Amino acid sequence: MSETTQVLPAVPADANDETTVVPAVEPPFRPSRAGWTARGVVWAALAWVVLALPLNILSPFEVGVTDVDVASLAVIYAIGALSLNVLLGYCGQISLGHQAFVGVGAFASAYIVTNLQLSFFLAVGVAALFGAVQAVLLGAVSLRLTGLYFALVTLAYGSFAQETLFGITSLTGGEGGKPAPRPDFFTSGYRYYYLCLGFLALVLWIDWRLTASKAGRAMAALRENPRVASSYGIDVRAYILVAFAVSGLFAGVAGSLVAHHDEVIVPSSFDFRLALLFVLMTVVGGLRSRTGVVLGAVFFALLEEGALVSMFGLEGFFEGLLGLPTEFVSLVVGPILLVLTLTLYPGGIGQQVAPIRLWLTGHRFDRHAGRVDDVEVTDVRA
Amino acid sequence: MSVLEISNLTIRFGGITALNDVSLRAGEWEIVGIIGPNGAGKTTLFNCITGFYQPTAGRVAYRGRDITGLPVHKRTALGIGRTFQNVGLVKNATVRENLATAQHLQVSYDPWAGIAGGPTTFGEERRIRERSHLILELLDLRHVGEERVADLPYGVLKKVEIAAVLATDPDLLLLDEPGSGMGPEEAHALGDTLLELRQQFGLSIVMIDHHVPLVTRVSDYVYCLNFGEVLAEGKPDDVRRHPEVARAYLGTEPEPDPASEPEPEPDPTPTLVGGTL
Repeated sequence: MSETTQVLPAVPADANDETTVVPAVEPPFRPSRAGWTARGVVWAALAWVVLALPLNILSPFEVGVTDVDVASLAVIYAIGALSLNVLLGYCGQISLGHQAFVGVGAFASAYIVTNLQLSFFLAVGVAALFGAVQAVLLGAVSLRLTGLYFALVTLAYGSFAQETLFGITSLTGGEGGKPAPRPDFFTSGYRYYYLCLGFLALVLWIDWRLTASKAGRAMAALRENPRVASSYGIDVRAYILVAFAVSGLFAGVAGSLVAHHDEVIVPSSFDFRLALLFVLMTVVGGLRSRTGVVLGAVFFALLEEGALVSMFGLEGFFEGLLGLPTEFVSLVVGPILLVLTLTLYPGGIGQQVAPIRLWLTGHRFDRHAGRVDDVEVTDVRA
Repeated sequence: MSVLEISNLTIRFGGITALNDVSLRAGEWEIVGIIGPNGAGKTTLFNCITGFYQPTAGRVAYRGRDITGLPVHKRTALGIGRTFQNVGLVKNATVRENLATAQHLQVSYDPWAGIAGGPTTFGEERRIRERSHLILELLDLRHVGEERVADLPYGVLKKVEIAAVLATDPDLLLLDEPGSGMGPEEAHALGDTLLELRQQFGLSIVMIDHHVPLVTRVSDYVYCLNFGEVLAEGKPDDVRRHPEVARAYLGTEPEPDPASEPEPEPDPTPTLVGGTL
């Protein structure tokens, strides 16, 4: 028996095995010349909508100054929603007090520009820093409390900030409001719009690099399974705080921009309704989908400002037929869309536009691309 | 010096003593098997080694260093890698993404540099991708690289899990039932893989498995746990023939002739440092 077996087999076991199945490797898809042209046309149209439409370049529409202000606000909301997406989407940490995140940035920025007479760009940086610091402090609580209990803490923090923190008259101007002038070059609505777009581009870049680097992977792992994450050598607590810091950073920028957008800010504009809007934008937009969250934010910003309702001439329907004032439309439509999202399209708007997005980036058009089948357990845990 | 040395470990949950005065050693390049019936405390022992549980009493030492109070991620950084009984992978990510996540400690840039999109991070990400590729190739898993973990069968996942834990660059591998969900032939192939990995990476391995032929074939030393205590320990065949083990674990008296597996130890391992346990 022992003669027939050798210490080292002379021939590897599968050397003569000719039935080895080589998995078929498809060559990567390359669009044809016409395909690229079609994609280029769509890209150009998108760029035109974002960049040229507000200036009425080559436009059949008449876009007024107030409309550009609404567009700026939509861009700012997109930054705020991306901020919540870092916490809720990437890290699975709920925040129902996000209006405080934004408010801290807004008042910090207004104080620096109005009281200290310092530059707007410095103010944005400091507002981002303030946002990050307060978010990390709140995040430290989340290390002890999880789920519903932490959600309640964020809710309480939001109202505390609105009622108490923003009521410190010497810092925030109290109910009378605090002036927050726009920077010299950007006083016109058009220029301010492009400034906001610039900041959105910066935020999108950071968000992209976050998800493509080790911090984003760590967050995805700890969201789904903290035990596995730590066994990969990830310091779970540290990365939760990193997520809060990044989220606070974005929220601070959004706050600063919204302050100088309105040019005067009052504490009451940072109420729970704003936090609710951010949650709607993020979830209906599609958690973890950058495109979806931005589109969701734009949608709700336009709805909130009444622009969508008037664009489609629906005042008669909402106000006349349903007796619903335009300013409340988003609070009725939002939850309905939220329920539809959670039950039918867990990926939100991001899921709906995924086939187009992938096609635009040079993939084959696939109607089922980017499909999200279920609400992830980790998304509803909180 | 032994790689892992557990001395007099006791852990209680309320009134239940899950582990009672357990001592265990694993030497350099050694494969140590742990067998025992369900509920014997095998996984609890792993959780104490990796730091998920704090033992009530006793000490866990890694290469002579007391690590009893160290958090989990720091133990991973020291070189302790583990797999989980019910698949420890990020289920909504692809296999490749999991491998990239597992290389967390191998990434040289600072997390903030990564978030800011620093210039060095792009090249480093490419290096991480290539390393994932190599590990997948090594374990014959290239074809599942782009698959979502949740879509893969259990047996494949057990292998993917080993790939992921290898990506953390461990010195000591703790495998919790690597052979579960595998048929006899697959389990045999797994044994070959483990011996090969030990050879290639200079690993020490502690493995829990119910697959007794697999454990006895690859292990240099075997512990049998029952009700939180070490019932028997020794060379694989000695433990298998131990009457207490047979009663507690196999449920029957040992067969008169257990030499049904003809293959001798196929590893050209040099002298085991801790081999004289």
